[in-house]
Amino acid sequence: MKKLSNPKELEKLRKTIQNRRDPNKPVVTICGGTGCQASGCEHIIETFKKEIIKQSLQEKIDVRITGCHGFCEKGPLVVIYPSKIFYPMVKSKDVSRIISETVVNNKVIEELLYVDPSSGERITYEDDIPFYKKQTRTIFGSNGKIDPKNIEDYIAISGYSALEKVLPSMKPQDVIDEVKKSGLRGRGGGGFRTGQKWESCSKAKGKQKYIICNADEGDPGAYMDRSILEGNSHSVIEGMILGAFAIDSNHGYIYVRAEYPLAVKHFSIALNQARKLGLLGKNILNSGFDFDIKIYQGGGAFVCGESSALIQSIEGNVGEPRAKHIHATERGLWDCPTVINNVETWANIPLIINKGAKWYASIGTEKSKGTKIFSLVGKINNTGLVEVPMGMTIKEIVFDIGGGIPNDKEFKAIQTGGPSGGCIPRSLMDMPIDFDELKRAGSMMGSGGMIVMDEDTCMVDVARYFMEFNLDESCGKCSSCREGNARMLEILEDICVGKGNENSIPLLEELSEYIKETSLCGLGKTAPNPVLTTLKYFKDEYLSHIQKKECPAKVCKPLIFYEINSEDCTGCGMCAKKCPVNAITGEKKKPHTIDKDICTKCGTCIATCKFNAIQVKTGEKK
Amino acid sequence: MKDDKTISMAAAEKHGSVLVIGGGISGIQSALDLANSGFKVYVLEEKPAIGGVMSQLDKTFPTNDCSMCIMSPKLVDVGRHPNIELITFSELKDITGKVGNFKVKILKKPRYVDGEKCTGCGVCIENCPVLFQPQIPEKPKEPSQVRDQVYIDELISKYSYYEAPLIQIMLEVNKKYRYLPRDVLEYLSFKLDTALSTIYRVATFYKTFSLEPLGKYHIKICLGTACHVRGARNIVDKVKDAIDAAEEGLFSLETVNCLGACALGPIMMVNEEVHGHMTVDKVDEIITSLEGIK
Ligand SMILES: Cc1cc2nc3c(=O)[nH]c(=O)nc-3n(C[C@H](O)[C@H](O)[C@H](O)COP(=O)(O)O)c2cc1C
Ligand code: FES
Repeated sequence: MKKLSNPKELEKLRKTIQNRRDPNKPVVTICGGTGCQASGCEHIIETFKKEIIKQSLQEKIDVRITGCHGFCEKGPLVVIYPSKIFYPMVKSKDVSRIISETVVNNKVIEELLYVDPSSGERITYEDDIPFYKKQTRTIFGSNGKIDPKNIEDYIAISGYSALEKVLPSMKPQDVIDEVKKSGLRGRGGGGFRTGQKWESCSKAKGKQKYIICNADEGDPGAYMDRSILEGNSHSVIEGMILGAFAIDSNHGYIYVRAEYPLAVKHFSIALNQARKLGLLGKNILNSGFDFDIKIYQGGGAFVCGESSALIQSIEGNVGEPRAKHIHATERGLWDCPTVINNVETWANIPLIINKGAKWYASIGTEKSKGTKIFSLVGKINNTGLVEVPMGMTIKEIVFDIGGGIPNDKEFKAIQTGGPSGGCIPRSLMDMPIDFDELKRAGSMMGSGGMIVMDEDTCMVDVARYFMEFNLDESCGKCSSCREGNARMLEILEDICVGKGNENSIPLLEELSEYIKETSLCGLGKTAPNPVLTTLKYFKDEYLSHIQKKECPAKVCKPLIFYEINSEDCTGCGMCAKKCPVNAITGEKKKPHTIDKDICTKCGTCIATCKFNAIQVKTGEKK
Repeated sequence: MKDDKTISMAAAEKHGSVLVIGGGISGIQSALDLANSGFKVYVLEEKPAIGGVMSQLDKTFPTNDCSMCIMSPKLVDVGRHPNIELITFSELKDITGKVGNFKVKILKKPRYVDGEKCTGCGVCIENCPVLFQPQIPEKPKEPSQVRDQVYIDELISKYSYYEAPLIQIMLEVNKKYRYLPRDVLEYLSFKLDTALSTIYRVATFYKTFSLEPLGKYHIKICLGTACHVRGARNIVDKVKDAIDAAEEGLFSLETVNCLGACALGPIMMVNEEVHGHMTVDKVDEIITSLEGIK
């Protein structure tokens, strides 16, 4: 690859790549994202490659390993271009048929197609699947089309054209104005206006300015940043170059969690390719502007996602936040003006420049513009990453895209905003999702995790879980966060084991107030949110635990017991054999019984019983 | 004491004095309350001065009030109270007797100051030549031995273009040896001119680092929200049982908050391999399939 010396050459390169590619040549795209890797896609990729060689089709078929498509539930995913025939959960035994029938002869193999669980119909094309159909995949859509390890793929789908547009003809202030007009708000959680942030950094004085991409993605249940980095690193790099140009910075950092090795790998490949083409480094495309990016890996601490802690960590210290009376835009990394934005925020920038602020501002709600990627996980049929315009209702996301709750269970709540967010109950299902609505409901956007909960989820247990998380991740600097969270956890644990009393709830409320008011960083300030929202919307569950010593969702082990329904039990003895503590006894062919004093409620018998004879009950043992 | 109902308070010969052990804020408050209700109180404190931890704190939880503002009036009260006698810089050696009539043995440590004459003016402290000598931190010394010195040197030069390379180097070291060996840390401390204590502070703050060797199979189980609601807790219990049954050194277990594959929860990782949709039965399957497991 030759270094490009001006924007025209980039345009020429794009044309050459596009002309070289035959749009009718069949391409087998296989998702190589982390989700599909866990479902064994590497083996499928190998098989495809071998099979193509076996059938001597190397010249006629291309294989492309792409990043995450979002529909992780059904991995490994295979899409055949140009027809876009879609096969989910591909097994290696099917590979040779897919090649000889679908790729070569364009014939659809009926039994391998995706079956829509709600209608039972088989669906042939990727775009027709309800999961994808309702989405607006402006950022995430390219993931399925390009090989993240090949910069040509990105250039071919008009990648780096925003840079091409900005460098010769726009001034830094024009870029800032465009971003301001688009109404883009940071996707890292707070929803701060990106344009304003850039503007104040551009006005700040300092001998050096820094750009940071926050890819620490610590919210449990959210993994969109990872998927963007793994599937389309170049879009983030392009965004960062544009941001650097706007605020006149020459140094960029990306802070990635150490848990994301594939993202680090793909990002560094992308950096090297961009450097080779002269899109990064000194005098980018002969514009006189220098910029380069360094990758910095984190060490696994949730609080390092917080901007001031992240800066501490890049400086080589432990990640303790500092008070924010001086913003990072004035004194951030090494005390220089710094802009920190989330991965998804950066990926939005090229789009805004390319398609214009007006187009961008036409998507979404009044105060929240554009699309947002959510990770739809938990008790839901179609788990995966979904990208929807701001303002879509919870109901549409959960039922139309997510396909509802598995096993005919009742939808109870969604949890958004990770450990800083809250639980939104079924009754608010028609609420449109954007930054402000979520805040009004007591939760927040966070990085976009959306954990669906059904009737089998105990809300007190969820609150306890998040408290445990926050306590574990608190850096320990403020005593209110360090000690207060511990006391709240103690109370919640007491409630979960049936030791709550009438003082528990008022005490929780009082402590919440103090912790919120007196903590330094966002972690402590929002740590009580999961407790407050569950108290607000699910107080009856707390009361059942406290007054009746019952767990309505049958989750809290000390409040439940197992019983065998003598009508359903056939006396097969399987459960008795599997029980690790020998709590089940009975004669062959006669209903068995569980000794409740020995039973540890491990769940083995429930998994074993074929007749659903084992029941979980709560309340007083009879 | 509350539980010991066998001793009849009335039968014991009661004395009107109380010993409060520990002169922290709780000891001070108890002493004041008792003294005000008419008891003679002795406050025993191990340190030369009363006040305890609270006197070192800036603010108090949960109201964020200034600690000294709460405390100093009480310190003065205790010092002045006619019913309170302070026994500082002393240790409790022995207690005998029963409720209402204890005998204690106290060791009073030497103080090189005549308590009768000292007014507590503090001039001696100000002039103490030892206390106010500047303490310059020692330069880290080169350790006598370090494993794979060439490799570590390479690492250091590989990351030399970072302004603060410490954490990046530690991540690589941790990956290679599967923990942070002490000799390597000492060497890093010397080479990067960073105090060993700083390095240890970093090593213990970030979760990725381990100061002990991990097992041959390092199992990570996600307890992130998505995995939690799908029952990850049961997987942890099951794996713990399996590990207990196995040889020492073969396994190590870590629970983490989200591995970024939430759609496939619960997630378990054995070394680098990710397993999705875990069930209790699958744990057995995976563990028995590993090499070297009987
Ligand atoms: C406890 C805590 C954790 C955070 N974790 C993340 C994170 O994992 N990823 C992220 O992008 N922002 C995170 N943030 C938000 C950042 O502080 C910061 O607001 C964000 O990176 C700014 O980028 P944006 O304007 O693009 O949203 C976190 C904030 C807090 C208080
Ligand atoms: S919550 Fe378990 S992988 Fe994300």
